[in-house]
This record gives sequence, structure tokens and C-alpha cells, in this order.
Amino acid sequence: MDLRECYAQLGGDYDGVMGRLRSEERVVRFARLFRSDENFQLLTDALAASDWATAFRAAHSLKGVALNLAFTRLAESSSALTEALRAGAPAEDPEQLYRAVERDYRTVLAAVDALTGPTA
Amino acid sequence: MDKTGKNKNTVLIIDDAELNRALLGDILALDYNVLEAADGETALATLEERWTEIDLVLLDVVMPGMDGFELLTRMNRNSWLSSTPVIMISADGSPENIDRAYDLGATDYITRPFDEKTVLYRVRNTIRLYAKQQALENLVAEQIMEKERSNFQMVEILSNVVEFRNGESGLHVQHVRLITDVLLQTVRRRCPQYGLTSAKIAVIANASALHDVGKISIDEKILNKPGRLTPEEFEIMKTHTVIGARMLEETPHQGEGDDGFLHIAHDICRWHHERYDGRGYPDGLVGEEIPISAQVVALADVYDALTATRVYKAAIEPEKALQMILDGQCGTFNPVLLDCLVECAPRLNRELDFHNAGPISSLEIHRVAGELLERGGLDSSRHALGLLEQAQERFSFYAEVTADLIFEYDRVGRRIRFSRTAARRLGLEEELAQPDAQTAVQALGSALPEIQDALDRAGENGPDVEGEYTLTLPDGPRRFHIRMRPLWNGEERRGWSRVVGKLTELDA
Repeated sequence: MDLRECYAQLGGDYDGVMGRLRSEERVVRFARLFRSDENFQLLTDALAASDWATAFRAAHSLKGVALNLAFTRLAESSSALTEALRAGAPAEDPEQLYRAVERDYRTVLAAVDALTGPTA
Repeated sequence: MDKTGKNKNTVLIIDDAELNRALLGDILALDYNVLEAADGETALATLEERWTEIDLVLLDVVMPGMDGFELLTRMNRNSWLSSTPVIMISADGSPENIDRAYDLGATDYITRPFDEKTVLYRVRNTIRLYAKQQALENLVAEQIMEKERSNFQMVEILSNVVEFRNGESGLHVQHVRLITDVLLQTVRRRCPQYGLTSAKIAVIANASALHDVGKISIDEKILNKPGRLTPEEFEIMKTHTVIGARMLEETPHQGEGDDGFLHIAHDICRWHHERYDGRGYPDGLVGEEIPISAQVVALADVYDALTATRVYKAAIEPEKALQMILDGQCGTFNPVLLDCLVECAPRLNRELDFHNAGPISSLEIHRVAGELLERGGLDSSRHALGLLEQAQERFSFYAEVTADLIFEYDRVGRRIRFSRTAARRLGLEEELAQPDAQTAVQALGSALPEIQDALDRAGENGPDVEGEYTLTLPDGPRRFHIRMRPLWNGEERRGWSRVVGKLTELDA
């Protein structure tokens, strides 16, 4: 699988990321680094503890990272969750929004693993 | 750009997400030294330690603990933003956030997802602009500093002349200047309606030194009367406001606007005894009819009068003095100003304690220089030069009209000036330059080394030197009481550069 196919699989914008970051080598390097980003775990734990402020920050950071790497689908779902959490305690249970983030996050990891090998 | 690393500019990246820091670092690493901080607290520590070497900060908004806005506020408070630009980076491109960032002093705002070129261009351009601005500011600051130094000295000479006659501690003028400055800075922050700028504050503080200049024409018997003044004497005393104002009106002022030195000095002289409720003098102005400059100097005058030691009274504790003013025991003041006084009182007392209201500080100069550049006005040096000329003009005027024996000696330029009466009594020219000055002074006799000695030891026990000396005049040796004040040159405390003095002939 090449980088373009990887982006197609994870629902990302290959042309966009290449236009901004310019080099495939750099994009691959940072896509691999994404695995060690802790914001998703932080988000999961914070939601479980109803710690809305931390959950908001983690969702916001996840969205930022996803935007930079043009993981479009993940950026959209984490953006929706971010907005739901912006004002503190959410009006509705954020479970559904979180599930979408989780699904997109796992898709990204799977695609990146397929590209670089799961040891990354 | 130099890529050896030594001459690279340094960028501090502050972002809680490691991946974001790494990505920005990757983009910048080729052209810049990159420092990283994962949260606001760490960033603050890094900045505190190394802000002089950091050329630019890239700052994330949303972070745990201290967020980007709070860090920006801290940077602003520490005056770091004037030399270290901040570019905010956030996935949140909402107008509120962008506005807030600029309001707090950010130079630029980049929204995620950013692209490599945008980051590189904005970082490069911002650093260049700041470097240029900094160089210009240094240049202007240097010039202003130079002019202000001479200008301040001249104003100080004038006010010293007045204080000599008042028999006051000599520190009063300097204290009023310092209090005025501190108070105005608080007023500026709290009351935008007065339209104060750093430049205007500097002018008002400088002009405050002349608030009692009209006392030069008040009879010394009234001025230095130990007991209470009679109603008639008090009426005469009160005229020092109007007389001071008239002196300034009569000083030539070419095309000076409302914010000019003379105009402001005039307002201060005339109205620094007005009170907010209309019960002051000479005009009984009410409320905001009194210019803010005069309101502030009035308050400063009262505050220092209370907290200073005078021949006829001991100093009052700052807390008690403040309470007396708040209780209206010194007349009614603008409530807003009183709030400001309460707020800045701790700082005030600290600075009055150390005190050297010395010439305008270099930080102050930079503040002024920055504003001048913002307004695009560089004709300030011309302005300052003009002020200096006027100040010299004013000295000549006072020297001419006063009946006292007054002199001024410029050690560096080796020039000496006498008031008209002094010149006549001593049988000398009013103005002497080298080598005539030396010859003339030497002719005055053997007391000179003694006087010089006393001057060199001055400063430890108050600003003035006093003593009785014998001077050789054309009509023989005479005993004089001489009171002198050495003036120190700006920052260098190695020695006095000028001295002003007053001679009183004994058994005349």
C-alpha cells in the first residue's frame, strides 16, 4: 500500500496534506508518530470519569493533530465531539459522538499500520 | 540564512501535543534553533530564563493548566511582547478567539491545518519586522535619552532655584514628579477617557517640576514665615499659581499644541490648588474643568506634603496620609483619582523610599520611543531640543528677575552663570566661559578647594551642601552663607556635573 491508498482508506485528504507538508517522507514519519499521540486515550479516560474540561482539551488536541495530518474523517468526528464538550457538561450523552471518534481513530491506526507495519 | 546554528534565530514552540511540536519543529529546524515546551508553566520558566535569546514564540491556545491566552497575558505583563513576537496557532479559528489573541498582544494567528510555507513565511517575516523595529527603537530611544537628559536637568535647575527660596527639603519637586508619574500610569490603565499616552505622561511628569515656579516672585518673608500666615499674606501666597501660569504664557511657544510642555506646565501652575468640588483657588474650577494634569499634580503635591518632613512638622505615615486624603482633610479630589492612588500607593511608597526620581528611566524611554514609532512621529528630538532651549531661556529670565544671589556652575562645560544681582555684587559678568570662568572663580579666594570638597562629599546627608565661606570681592573679603545643590549626571554617579547655589551675605 502506498501513502495515497493509505489516505483513501483512512478517509483523509492526500492532496491536501501533500500540498501543505510537501514531502511524503515527512507525512509518513508523522503518520507513524500519530500512534504515540496520547490524546485519544486521555479523551477516553476523561469521558469515563465525566471530567469534561479535560475531555474537551483532549478532543480539541486530537482534532488539531488530525487536521494537520489531513485525517479528514477523524478531524470531523473529533470536531463534533469538541463542540459538544466546549461548554462543559454536555447537554446530551456524548457516547454516540465518542463512538464515531473511536471508529475513525481505529481506522486511521489500521491504515497507518498497513502502510508502515504494526511495529511502528 | 546562516545554517551553522550559531546565528540562527530561535523559536519557542509551545503546544501540549507532542506531535504538533514535532511537526512544527520539523518545518522550522532547517532555518531556526527550536525550543519546545509542552505546557504554559514550562514555557513561562523557559521564557523567564531565556527570553532575550528567543526571537519568536509559536503558541497553542488550548492547553491543560495555563492555556495560551493566559500565557500571552503573562508575557504582556512582563513586557516581553515588545521584543518577542507571538504567533498563535489553533484549530479554533473562531472570530472571538482570533480577536482575543490580537487583543492580548499576539502578532499573528495561524489556524490548523497549517501548511509548511505559511508557517515559514510568517515566522520569517515576523522576526524580520521585529528586528527592524527594535533597531529603530534603539536608535530613537538613544536620541530621546540624550535630549531628555539635558532637558530634565534644566527643569531641575529651575525647580531647585524655587525650592532654595522656599527653604524646603529639596526633594519635594522630585517626589511630586515621581508620584505624578506613577499615578498617571495607573490612571492611564484605569481611565482610557483621559487619553493618556506614555509620551504625554512623560511631559506631564516633567512639567510637574514647575508647579510652584510662581513662588519665585513671592516675598521671602511670607514664603519662609515660620508661623501661620495672616489672611492678607495667604492671599499673596495664593498668587503664586497665577504668576507661575503667566510666566509660562510669556515664554515664547512656537506652534505648540495642547499637549505641549508649556501648555501643560501652564495648566499645572495655575490649577494645582483647584479642588474637585470647586473650593480650590485661583479660579474655583469644578470637576473635570480642571485638566487631568493639574488634578494629578495637586494630589501628588498634597501626598508628598503630608508624608515629607518639614521644618514645622514631622512626616506622617503613608497609610495615615492616604486616609487623611480619602477623608477629605486636604480638600476634595476626583474619586477616580483617589481609587488610583489607593491602588498604586504600595508601589509609590516603595519608590519614594528608595527614591531617586532620577532622570527618565531607560524603560520609560523605550515605552515612549515605541509609541512615537507607532504614531510615525520622529520629530520628537526637535521637540526636545526646543524644550531645552526654552528651559535655558527660562533660567535666564529667572536669573534676571530674582533679587537673590544665585549661580549655576557647569563642571563639564566649565561655564558659570550668575543672576543679575549676583553678578553685580561679585563684580563679575553674568555669564562666563573658559578661561575667564576659572580666573574669575579663582579670584574669589581660598575658600574654593573647601567648597569643592564639600560638594564631592555631598549626597550622603541630603541633597544640599551648606556652609559659611569667605569670598574675596572687589571691596574686600566678605562672609557668605552658601547653599548649593550638586546635580548628578543621569546614570553615572561618579561625580556631580553641575551645581546650583545661592549666596547670602552675612552682616551685610
